[in-house]
Amino acid sequence: MADKEATVYIVDLGSSMADCHNGRIEPDMNWSMQYVWDRISTTVAANRKTWNIGVVGLKTDGTDNPMAEEDGYSNISVLRELGPMGMAGLRTLQEKIQPSSTDVGDCLSAIVIAMEMIQTFTKKLKYNRRIFLITNGESHIDDDEEAVSEIATRIKELGIELTVLGVDFDDSEFGFKEEDKTEQKATNEGLLKQLTDACDGQFGTIAEAIAELSFPRLKPVKPYKTYEGPLTLGDPQQGAMSIDVERYFKTHKATIPPASNVVLQQNHAKRSGDGNGLEEIQSSGGNFAAVSNERTYTVNDPTKPKGKREVLYEELAKGYEYGRTAVHISDSEHNITKIETTKGFAIVGFIPQENFEPFVNMGDSCMIVPQKFNDEAAIKLSSFIHSLHELESYAIARLVMKDGKEPLLVILAPHIDLEFECLYDVPLPFAEDVRSYRFPPLDKVVTLTGKVLNEHRQLPSHDLLETMSEYVDAMDISTYEVDDNGERTQEYASVDDLYCPTLHRINQAVRHRAVYPDQPVPPIPPILVKYAKPDEKLEEAAKTRLDDLIETAEVKKVPPKATGKRQRDKVMPRSGLDIDALLKQPEHKRAKIDPNNAIPEFRQIFNMSDDEDVVKDAAKQMGQIIRDLISDSMGDLNYERAIEDLGVLREGMVDFEFAALFNTFLLDLKKKILSGELGGDRRELWWMLKGKGLGLIDNVAVESSNVTPEEAAEFYKK
Amino acid sequence: MAKSLKKTSLMRMFIYKSQKDALLFAIDVSKTMQKAPPASDDKKADTDSGMTAALKCAYQVMQQRIISNPKDMMGILLFNTEKSKSNDEDEERGSPGYPHCYVYVPLDVPAADDVKKLKSLVEDGEDSEEVLIPSKEPATIKDVLFCANQIMATKAPNFGSRRLFIITDGDNPHLDDKKMNEAAAVRAKDLYDLGVFITLFPVGHKDSSFDLGKFWNDIIFKDPLAELTDPENVLESKSGNDGLSLLKSLIKNIDSKKTPKRAYFSSMPFEIGAGLTISVKGYNLFQKQAPARSCYVWLDDEKAQIAVGETARTEKDSTRDVEKGELKKAYKFGGEYVYFSPEEQTEVKKFGEKTIRIIGFKDRSLLKFWMAIKKSIFIYPSEEGYVGSTRVFSALWQKLVKSKKVGIAWHIARKNANPQLVAIIPSRSQSDEKSGTPYLPAGLWLYPIPFADDVRAGPELQIVRTTNELTDKMNKITGQLQMPRGLYPNPALQWHYKILQALALEEEVPDKPDDATVPKNKAISKRAGGYLQEWADVANEALVKHQEQKAIKRELDAEDDEPRPKKRTKTATASKKTDEDGSSAMTDAALKKLVNSGDVTKMKVTELKDALAARSLDTKGRKADLVERLEQWAEENM
Repeated sequence: MADKEATVYIVDLGSSMADCHNGRIEPDMNWSMQYVWDRISTTVAANRKTWNIGVVGLKTDGTDNPMAEEDGYSNISVLRELGPMGMAGLRTLQEKIQPSSTDVGDCLSAIVIAMEMIQTFTKKLKYNRRIFLITNGESHIDDDEEAVSEIATRIKELGIELTVLGVDFDDSEFGFKEEDKTEQKATNEGLLKQLTDACDGQFGTIAEAIAELSFPRLKPVKPYKTYEGPLTLGDPQQGAMSIDVERYFKTHKATIPPASNVVLQQNHAKRSGDGNGLEEIQSSGGNFAAVSNERTYTVNDPTKPKGKREVLYEELAKGYEYGRTAVHISDSEHNITKIETTKGFAIVGFIPQENFEPFVNMGDSCMIVPQKFNDEAAIKLSSFIHSLHELESYAIARLVMKDGKEPLLVILAPHIDLEFECLYDVPLPFAEDVRSYRFPPLDKVVTLTGKVLNEHRQLPSHDLLETMSEYVDAMDISTYEVDDNGERTQEYASVDDLYCPTLHRINQAVRHRAVYPDQPVPPIPPILVKYAKPDEKLEEAAKTRLDDLIETAEVKKVPPKATGKRQRDKVMPRSGLDIDALLKQPEHKRAKIDPNNAIPEFRQIFNMSDDEDVVKDAAKQMGQIIRDLISDSMGDLNYERAIEDLGVLREGMVDFEFAALFNTFLLDLKKKILSGELGGDRRELWWMLKGKGLGLIDNVAVESSNVTPEEAAEFYKK
Repeated sequence: MAKSLKKTSLMRMFIYKSQKDALLFAIDVSKTMQKAPPASDDKKADTDSGMTAALKCAYQVMQQRIISNPKDMMGILLFNTEKSKSNDEDEERGSPGYPHCYVYVPLDVPAADDVKKLKSLVEDGEDSEEVLIPSKEPATIKDVLFCANQIMATKAPNFGSRRLFIITDGDNPHLDDKKMNEAAAVRAKDLYDLGVFITLFPVGHKDSSFDLGKFWNDIIFKDPLAELTDPENVLESKSGNDGLSLLKSLIKNIDSKKTPKRAYFSSMPFEIGAGLTISVKGYNLFQKQAPARSCYVWLDDEKAQIAVGETARTEKDSTRDVEKGELKKAYKFGGEYVYFSPEEQTEVKKFGEKTIRIIGFKDRSLLKFWMAIKKSIFIYPSEEGYVGSTRVFSALWQKLVKSKKVGIAWHIARKNANPQLVAIIPSRSQSDEKSGTPYLPAGLWLYPIPFADDVRAGPELQIVRTTNELTDKMNKITGQLQMPRGLYPNPALQWHYKILQALALEEEVPDKPDDATVPKNKAISKRAGGYLQEWADVANEALVKHQEQKAIKRELDAEDDEPRPKKRTKTATASKKTDEDGSSAMTDAALKKLVNSGDVTKMKVTELKDALAARSLDTKGRKADLVERLEQWAEENM
């Protein structure tokens, strides 16, 4: 993969670039540099040593270039020699990109200098060579047509790709024409156009380039081979089918750039003195240090305080958990639990295509092609592919990617194109991977007694089915995308048009921040959220269908109040026996809450009683039970129980809107826990309570509470 | 604003529950449960009594849970035992215990010893604790339930899911004693209020069916997590049911309930159109099970102990300890870090609220086989957010099945989760003969569609097409080897735990794994061996013909003045080493031309190596290195 790059950017720093034109409020230089910065920062982000960037300033105040001695090369400065670029380089360069106080400088001369730079740097080695010229074309160019064609020939010889991007250059394809153009600019545009035409380069207006920036760029990835070897059917030693194939990724989740844990380097932090210095350091960047993780290990040891003892990593052996039992595996047997397998790709059998449902796939797809330059494999695999196609079948195969790897089951599908054919495969689940949850049927209702109902409020009426069908048909986007003739014949939201929003959003924001550290995060490019909503025109066209559907469906939002508040639905067993009534009978009546049956009895009092005093009393009893649990707890033994009880109590108090009662109790409990009044050091329990969010009831949860959310948050702080 | 705040504070109330499951079996060991089935000459006839079948089931479930839910608890309580034994805590407290209830395996994450004990009881009938002696008078169900209550409250406090599986054949345990029945009903309600869900697995006898109406209908409540339309049906296990043995029938019934139903997301707004939103729950019905990662074990004590790891963070260069509060998130960029404040981080990743929003519908055929990127999520309607969700969902489901269409939707699974485009695909009812997945419920699936970023380009390829004759031969083979629908156990996973179990139980380590995924080569050769031979012969004929044609074409090409270098290099390295010119190492002149034109990078690695070797140069390294070495040589020597 020899994709070495050498790119030189020639940027116009003439004083006129500091002006604003054509209704823009941004100086031409900042505006056009957007494009350059985006390209450069993309290169910086890739962090590749073989991608080299050089920058030449045009119309600089001084002159600093290898040909400075010669005529016509003044006011051109090499701002940066070709080389790989990092953040430091980016910052240095940024400082140099300032408008000068002159408007003299020959852009063709600058191109010649850039060509020299590339030639010296790349010699004859394989490189992608590029020159970008960004200019407003307002300065005199000293050359004639002959010189232009000479330069063009040389550019072609060197294999350089030249791109000229002009500020407000005319571009009929893009649809831009500057009306009040200076004569000088018009001449120069012509000359540059001639040059790019002659060397097969690109010529365009910068506005188009900037517009293209909003289109995410796809990062090409080298084909990755996941398997290479025979695809067999039957025992190959007995003359069965064996085809040499190669298997590559067809899809593979592109990695979303992860954020890493960093920490401000301490020596810097110290130097910055007060806390205000922090922002400066962060914005200038480069003062963060990576964080490394170190693991320490402990085992239970009742003789030690806290019941735990630290052990050294070197003293530990490898093993596995079997339930709660540790099974030690000695080094010599470290592979004992691994199944012994040999590399291979064997067909297990065939199934009709209609028996496969796409949602059973377990991950990426791969493509299987014949081994390179192997006609025998190619023709045999082709017959296999065509057979699957003709018989509308898929094959199921067992794949072991390398010796010792665990076997996978994949399903193979034929793909036949005009110029291409292959098998695609996706991984299948094993029996252990499927959870057998039961769900009631969607097209009928079965009652407790086993009766089957076809009409029920849970089931759609005939009208609902009808309106739904019409709506779905109206919202069809199978051929909604416009083709080149402006007609809707193409698939809308096809895979080619879907860009991973998070991936490109993070890249965009990070690049932007690297170039403009002081600016806020830029808005999301619209293309990334294009498919977040239905197309407006489509929605408009289907509006009446949707209105019909809404009217027929009669869906009602459950008011938010009802979701958490006291739902006094009577809970009954299958028989419909009234347990509440039973509980009121003398022989089942419970005078005091049994600490061993606290949660059920507390809940029952809550659900059955409307007497506030009874409820308050129950809450008090519950509080005592919780305190006793904590006091009696050997170590952390009762903590989870106490937490569960506290959670139930809190739930109940929210329902009954007894915030004050609960909050008083909790404040007292906190004090007791932290002061060690409840049988010793119970701070760990306090951490647990915090972690579980069992805090004060604030006035958002219960309006009558006199605790604000801020105060509730304050409660957690010591 | 206030409303959304309210929601979060309501959400917080449930966080204190941990996401763990505790499963307690209560198995009846009464005389009738122990009664052996009538002797029979039929090999397939039942040999298990109700109790043996129940214990075998429990044993199987225990083994499975160690693999599938390694952090979850399980226990076994026997009732109608002559002996009594209760929870340790109860005993410590000096509680009188519960007559004829015996805690056989205390509720905990199972240990190897538990498995061993159960195994010897089930497989060898070794009952050293004499627990299987039935009591003369029955246990009262109120005691059984309260015993379970105490076990759950003390051993599995705060668990998100606690379930009691009762296996019994006694449909009238108190012989219509009203007081006893009522006391049991009250204890059942206690369990319900504690959050323990009772599932009954009745065992039926040959001549009499289990009558729920006599007693148990007062004990069984509806699962609060179940769907509204789902009546709590109780499945009776019986010898001969659906042609299954009692054991199989019981296993089948328990299997369908053994995993607690956990939602992957709930109260998810499903926006079918602007102004038409219903609520759905999402379920992860596929979860890749892999052998648990190895852990570190401390061996110095008599018993191996698992060492618990903790992470300490240090600054990379200075190795200074880092407090958690100091940590910041930054992105790597050009060898350095680019920082965003937490608020900015949120802004960067903010793509809106959680949702499933339909943007249109497509023909199902547009969803290509290869458009696979990760597993799908099952969704099912819920009335909790919008009344009427179920009927609208059902209408959409029926339409998608009927018209062979899929929905396309923008999906954000959680707050600040990465947005994904999904196809919404219906699964047919399990009773539908056209269903390819009878093991999956009917509903809709959120099927992630790959982004353009996730699609890889394949290698360059020259295709050689099959002939009609050859395809016909292959068709005969394909037609012969159709396989049934169904799933295979994962051989690597099974083997891992089989070995681990043997080591943990100190049993003999088996030497050969059961691997159902290995193709049945004998059967294949029996059914298609002849066709395979015919196909191979025809393939060879076709190949010879193809190569003849290719040779002719090559000659024609050679007559051209300007031979295409690409073609020539390809034929020069045709995989077999029978090249006409014997060596693929090119002449210096040819190399010079390639270097100057830059086409040297288009050479294959093997070609590069040959060229390097012919010039006594090092042939090691990646392609880029090889190219550079060759270019360097050319520059210095030519």
